[in-house]
Amino acid sequence: MTHPWSKRSGSRLGGLGVVGALLLATWAQAALPPTAVGSTAPDEGDPRLEGALLLDATQVKAGGDFRVGVRLKLDPEWHVYWKNPGDSGLATDVSWDVPGVTVGDLRWPFPSTFRTPDGFITTHGYHDEVLLFAPAHVAENASGTLNVSAAVDALACKVHCIPAQLVLTRTVPVGPETVLDPEFAPRFDAAQAQVPAPVGAEGAPRVALALDGATLTAGQPFTGKLTVTGADGKPFAGDVEGDFFVPGRIPGVDSVALTRTAPGTFALKGQASSVVPKGEPRLTGALRLGTKATGFTAVDVDTALAPVVAVAGAPAGPSPLKVPSVKDAVGKVQPVVAAVPVAAESSLGLGVALLFAFLGGALLNLMPCVFPVLALKAYGFTRMVQEEKGRVAPHAAAYAGGILATMLLLAGAVLAVRAGGASVGWGFQFQEPLFVAGVSAVLVAFALNLFGVYTLGADGTALAGKVDQSHGLMRSAGEGVLAVVLATPCSAPLLGTAVGFAFAAGPATVVAVFVALGLGLALPFCLLVLVPGLAKRLPKPGMWMERGKQFLGFALLGTTVWLVWVMGGLAGVDGMARLLAFLIAVGLVTWLYGQSQGLEGGRRGVTVALAALVLVGAGAVALRFEEAQASVETRGAAVASHGGAQAWDEAAVTAALAAGQPVFVDFTADWCLTCKFNERTVLSRDDVRQAFLKHNVAFFVADWTRRDARITTKLAEHGRAGVPMYLVLSPGAPGKPEVLNELLTADSVIQAVQRAAECGSPLKGGSVVCARP
Amino acid sequence: MKQVFKALALTAAFVSAPVFAADTAEVGKPAPAFTLKDEAGKAHSLSEYKGKVVVLEWTNPECPFVKRHYEAKTMQNTQKGFDAKKVVWLTVDSSSTHNAKSAAEWKKKEGFSQPVLLDTDGAVGKSYAAKTTPHMYVIDGEGVVRYAGAIDNDPRGKETTKVNYVQTAVDALLNGKQVATPSSEPYGCSVKYKS
Repeated sequence: MTHPWSKRSGSRLGGLGVVGALLLATWAQAALPPTAVGSTAPDEGDPRLEGALLLDATQVKAGGDFRVGVRLKLDPEWHVYWKNPGDSGLATDVSWDVPGVTVGDLRWPFPSTFRTPDGFITTHGYHDEVLLFAPAHVAENASGTLNVSAAVDALACKVHCIPAQLVLTRTVPVGPETVLDPEFAPRFDAAQAQVPAPVGAEGAPRVALALDGATLTAGQPFTGKLTVTGADGKPFAGDVEGDFFVPGRIPGVDSVALTRTAPGTFALKGQASSVVPKGEPRLTGALRLGTKATGFTAVDVDTALAPVVAVAGAPAGPSPLKVPSVKDAVGKVQPVVAAVPVAAESSLGLGVALLFAFLGGALLNLMPCVFPVLALKAYGFTRMVQEEKGRVAPHAAAYAGGILATMLLLAGAVLAVRAGGASVGWGFQFQEPLFVAGVSAVLVAFALNLFGVYTLGADGTALAGKVDQSHGLMRSAGEGVLAVVLATPCSAPLLGTAVGFAFAAGPATVVAVFVALGLGLALPFCLLVLVPGLAKRLPKPGMWMERGKQFLGFALLGTTVWLVWVMGGLAGVDGMARLLAFLIAVGLVTWLYGQSQGLEGGRRGVTVALAALVLVGAGAVALRFEEAQASVETRGAAVASHGGAQAWDEAAVTAALAAGQPVFVDFTADWCLTCKFNERTVLSRDDVRQAFLKHNVAFFVADWTRRDARITTKLAEHGRAGVPMYLVLSPGAPGKPEVLNELLTADSVIQAVQRAAECGSPLKGGSVVCARP
Repeated sequence: MKQVFKALALTAAFVSAPVFAADTAEVGKPAPAFTLKDEAGKAHSLSEYKGKVVVLEWTNPECPFVKRHYEAKTMQNTQKGFDAKKVVWLTVDSSSTHNAKSAAEWKKKEGFSQPVLLDTDGAVGKSYAAKTTPHMYVIDGEGVVRYAGAIDNDPRGKETTKVNYVQTAVDALLNGKQVATPSSEPYGCSVKYKS
């Protein structure tokens, strides 16, 4: 292309060309005042960009319209940027100063897309030449000569970049008529033809988006279908080519791309940013329809996407740090998602996590800490089935509702605490003495109810054995609540993963996981309702039910023993005594209440008031727990149960590893039954202890009975929100601890310890292979 | 049981691979680990700065935007404002054509003290999805990316009310607060990766 400003053209055209170029240049200089042309982006003295201030008219009339533009001409392979520069660069900026004239928004012809050879960086802009222009409206009272001034601020890049700044000025006379410039008006028209038509412009194709899903999930891909219809309402039949879609800057969306799937139909694929944006993102950009052969039609795209919701992997609080291996080669990047189960756990997809949460919830029914409630409920069910079929469903719904409501409350509490900056873990509520006392009181009250000290969910006639339905429903809901409260510390193997996931996830996911847990927990009763035959198989009622009920009361009291023991870990012997005193007061209160149920009117009121007084008084006196000192004695039975165990400390672990000792860390808590189970049945076994002795393992106990931020952080590093967690560290690879399954077996512990010992053995010389299972 | 669980976990990892395989530095997620040598040949690993706030600055001494910020002392002054005991500033150059010698010369010329890490093969830059110079990342003591984007709100060097995003992000982290602006559009030259 021969062009007056093409400073390289002479050398390419040879002698004759030089003459021609010079002639053209002289002519062009005559057409444009010298102040309206300029060059910039000096590259070692050689300007890479030349600009010219163009008008489409040689004379304008007052109140009339014309166009002002800046033509940017670039050296070969150099480019400037579109309004959305893409991954790097800087949008070209043109600011106008035209007194007596209102200048509209800059019109951007459809841009080219540039990619680095590796495809890593994509930018949008113009090479060779572009005319960026704007409509201008002359004021009604304009007269004489108008001064037109444009300031260009751009970035010109080839591989390296050079800032390009130009100020161009010229004048245009105001006359009776607008006189188009025969040379430049067609150039504006040509540029106008490349500018995408605004949304809704007459005769322009229409773009509609159907997104798959009602929301975008932060950090996750999304898809949809974009349809383009012509002004006639029929699908756009033509083809597209090249980089036909150029997205705008969309806050909350990292990337979007379109693929043509059928005439007028495009598949949309995008990736939402990991950060949830303010407001709902819109799909913006420019779409170029047609091909070089058929001609192009470009349209603006500006259509609503969907609100972005947070998800897993976008935690508001601290998240696990993948500590790189010491074996990392210098300059090499370690993959974040290593192909080991431990790492995979923290990257579970939402669906899988929900499934695990559901299964975990179902498993919780069999846990010793929740089974009494289950048995209780089964007993209640038996009775109901016999009574009236229709009542089974409402009771089951009430039970499930109680579970779900409590789960949602827990989810809310977790979110609130996490928002407050504290990182909490599963079972954390058992680190709070008042909570333990409250649960114990509820258990005792329930037990006494089963013993028949008082009746619940029944009016006077209920004494005769008839259950009032609404009260009965309340009781079913209450049992649901109790089931959740009791289940929390029983972190079954699958549950740990799901909850670990939930704690590292966004609010919506936390709620979803807790709901899934609740549904799983309620599952056995949902089954009883959904399968009528199953409910009928439950045994017929009789005196055995009354006896069974009383027996279950003892089971509940047994659970209380465990809670009293937990309190011992939290607040020492004094705390236990205070709790027991309070529980006796609770017994007294329920007894008083039971007595009142046989009374009438005023005397009943007095008795209930007395009961309330006893409760409040006993609570005020007894419920003052001081956290026990972190002495060795109260530091959990776990330490005592394993001879030679030390309290966990990061520095001590490092020291032991440096001394060549394999390290076993037991993350435990007194209120964690799974932990206790593992300690009693596996870690205390003779063969396990022999293995520890044989390999000179340093055994550490990290006791999470009380809040301990260091332990919470350590758990989070491994994608866990609660105990138990078992780490085996090898002196040969201190950065790669092996995380054992939550339900230990003697074999797994012995083998893990052996691996750790062999890996760290100096006898194997430099070629130590520390393979992970 | 353990085998089943492992299989499930691995399956989950593969199913979610398209999502999580994007090995990039995303705000709120763990920062990709790295070990790089600086201009003096000393190796730096992200892990060794655990417990400190780490600022990563992608740079290219030849980029006009970088030059402007070094002339205006933006980077130097931002860094000076931080407690060196709590904040580590690492400058990373992923330009394929640069080396320890050129980095040392630049460091001497500008007179700053932070190490210039050389990522000549671009692997670390790409793992962070660093695309511009400057391109800034702020990583908290737990190794989680808390800010990614531009150094400030002033791509053209003309803004009268400047907001230094890195400074506000680091200050928020040191005060235990949420970072108000966790990401911004980075501006500048493209990173000159090996092609």
